[in-house]
Amino acid sequence: MSSIISLKHLYKEYQLGDGSVFTALRDINLDIHEGEFSAIVGPSGSGKSTLMHMIGLLDKPSRGEIIINSRDVSTIDDNQTSTLRNSYVGFVFQQFNLLNKLTVQENILLPATYSRRNLDFDPIARSEMLMEKFGIISKKDSYPNRISGGQQQRVAVARALIMKPQLILADEPTGNLDHKTGNEIIDLFEELNKSEGITLIMVTHERELAERTRRQIRVLDGEVISDKKK
Amino acid sequence: MKLQGVSTLFTSSFADFKRDKVRTALTSLGIMIGVLSVVLLIALGLGLKNYIQNQFESLGANLVMILPGSGFSGGRGPAGLAGGAEFDEKDVRSVEKVPNIKYVVPVYIHSSVITTADKEISGSIMGANEEIFSLINIDVQTGELWKKTDVEKKAKVAVLGNTLAQDLYGNPSDALGKTIRVGGMRIKVIGIANKIGNQERDGAAFIPYTTTFGSMNPKKTFFAIYLGIADKESVTTVKSEVEKTLLKRYDKDRFSVTEQSEILSTVDQIFGILNIFLVAIGSISLMVGGIGIMNIMYATVTERTREVGIRRALGATTRDILLQFLTESTMLSLFGGIVGLIVAWIIVLIVRNWFPVALNLFAVILAIGVSSGIGIFFGVFPAKKAADLSPMEAIRYE
Repeated sequence: MSSIISLKHLYKEYQLGDGSVFTALRDINLDIHEGEFSAIVGPSGSGKSTLMHMIGLLDKPSRGEIIINSRDVSTIDDNQTSTLRNSYVGFVFQQFNLLNKLTVQENILLPATYSRRNLDFDPIARSEMLMEKFGIISKKDSYPNRISGGQQQRVAVARALIMKPQLILADEPTGNLDHKTGNEIIDLFEELNKSEGITLIMVTHERELAERTRRQIRVLDGEVISDKKK
Repeated sequence: MKLQGVSTLFTSSFADFKRDKVRTALTSLGIMIGVLSVVLLIALGLGLKNYIQNQFESLGANLVMILPGSGFSGGRGPAGLAGGAEFDEKDVRSVEKVPNIKYVVPVYIHSSVITTADKEISGSIMGANEEIFSLINIDVQTGELWKKTDVEKKAKVAVLGNTLAQDLYGNPSDALGKTIRVGGMRIKVIGIANKIGNQERDGAAFIPYTTTFGSMNPKKTFFAIYLGIADKESVTTVKSEVEKTLLKRYDKDRFSVTEQSEILSTVDQIFGILNIFLVAIGSISLMVGGIGIMNIMYATVTERTREVGIRRALGATTRDILLQFLTESTMLSLFGGIVGLIVAWIIVLIVRNWFPVALNLFAVILAIGVSSGIGIFFGVFPAKKAADLSPMEAIRYE
């Protein structure tokens, strides 16, 4: 299996007000392979969210390399980072992070409006296919604040998939959902992973959810303390 | 397929405005009022200029005026009567000797109460010779013009300006044959002039200048002498000849010989400066409106930090965010500008019934240009703030 992203000796340090340095991530070495369904687990403050932000190119490391498609992307400029974020990764957030002023379909299409390349598919047709698949086609023209939490998270997943990314990053995707709905979202992830081979990384502090993935990366005090594959 | 483009920016801005109509309207209001005041002030300035130019233009072509004081010619000393020469019949006779002059018209102007059998209004009396009618193109609507013999006889006859006749008798033609009283004098109306669209002319009563000699004009002087020049080419020569003639009697700065085109260009200059002043005053309100937009946009950026974070996470570059916020502030400003322009236009159309205000292309371009400029200028800082938000921090923003 080829790796879609490799982190090499990655550090993230913050200068604190009193002049001391806080190390959020320390010498992280990690390879994510195509088709994997992994969980990054750890208590709050452990650095797991920072790690996710690095993988999702939302933040830049202090030192070390992030290699995507055999190219170090830790030092590329904002334009290139944005382009890469747009095409290579799809985000699913805890708070869903949908724009309430856009309809469900417009939300799903939002990444396509920021695309700088010629897409080899029709985003509108793809958005309709995804809504159909996730059972939200009837909510196509509704606004996100008018639909249930479970439906909102499905919209977010559809949005994450619209650009056919290589990787889906989910940050506490079930955090704002009740147990049953949360499980349904994980079912959806499992299905996407199994039937379509989509690579998924989920950040969670819930052991039960993490157990459902095939690889668990444990983070504590900014370091990977264990990396178990099933 | 590429969706990102100008149209996306516009639709997204429109969606934002639609969701918050009150804020959109209030934000634009400042610009609206600014543009409204600038455009109206320009319209007023142009109106004043048109009005005054119109007064001079209706005097007719190839007109040279001998005026007391340094007049409009731009020299030192007071314009108008103070310290100026008081012309008399002797001046008229000496000027008449200058060749190439078609008409020499002494002009005596007197504001007076004009009384009819049942009305009393104030109007102006214009004493002149019979050539005045040819010089300023006046013809009668009804009745007849008085003639040279009337001037010689000091006949108490008058040709009334159309508006004056209307004010006195309701229907202008009803004035014919009536007697008006000016001071102690009873004057017979023998003709009503056509309406010529010049308030001063339309509101005057024309009588032979000799008729004014008496209690009205005991010193037998004139306010001005108007000259009708035979052809355009000789205007300059005539002017210098006339000046030479008058210098024998008066000091240089006690009179001026001015042709109409000079007056028009002076009027043009004065109102050019007046217009700049008016625009400057109006610009203050435009500035305040722009700051209003900046304020709201700043507040909007904070309010929408999370939205910026989401958009950035989904692939928007700093430039995309910058453009989005700039488009919004520009559209807000432009919207206000266009509404302000429309309101100004309506007001101009209404006011036109009483005063010749005018809108020109310059005002329109200025309004549109300045309001979009303000949108961009005052939008840049908030937009930059939004674009510079770190995507990670923006998305965590509660």
